[in-house]
Amino acid sequence: MGLVLISHSGKLVEGLREMVAQVAGEDVPVATAGGTSDGRLGTSAPQIEAAIRSTLDGGADDALVLLDLGSAALSLELALEELDEADRARVRISEAPLVEGAILAAVQASIGASIDDVAAAADGAATMAKLPRA
Amino acid sequence: MPDIRLTVIDPSGLHARPAARFVQAASRFASRIAIQHDGREADAKSLIALLGLTIRPSTEITLTADGPDADEALTALAAELTPYVAAAEPAG
Repeated sequence: MGLVLISHSGKLVEGLREMVAQVAGEDVPVATAGGTSDGRLGTSAPQIEAAIRSTLDGGADDALVLLDLGSAALSLELALEELDEADRARVRISEAPLVEGAILAAVQASIGASIDDVAAAADGAATMAKLPRA
Repeated sequence: MPDIRLTVIDPSGLHARPAARFVQAASRFASRIAIQHDGREADAKSLIALLGLTIRPSTEITLTADGPDADEALTALAAELTPYVAAAEPAG
């Protein structure tokens, strides 16, 4: 399976892709869609659609999509409308926080976990402890 | 059930990259593998569980394995954690 990372910032998703590769390795395909087509902060439905298609056409059975906030969800909805039903069924949307969720998902995907387990790992990012217990 | 006690010596503790390598290595074994730290236990095949232990430098962890390849798994995983850990002092 592959990951699709969507942000208002192209720099953010490029940096995140680097982090994912370094932590989880290079075996999990990661496609990104960040910023508008003219390089501003924002999201672009065509870019998102292209990122999802490149994942599905690139050999991944499923795609887990993580996004940052706000209108990213609207652009994602528009992108999904362009997919046929069979492709749409291979796409899972995650509510997970983008950075932490992407890294946790990628590591679980790298060990061959199912999309359910990968999505659950990403979801866990929302409540993951970062500081030691007091 | 075999176990190995280790002390984390890396100044950053068991941080994201070694933890991810560890999860990937653990997943190659059939045995159930757990990592215990500070009274809690995490599934060694889950990065979120492992990071949730917030393992800090100079603290002790115990690896346990239960299954057909338990001994082999512990040996391999202890090696995987080198150079982040050292053998713990024998229990008193």
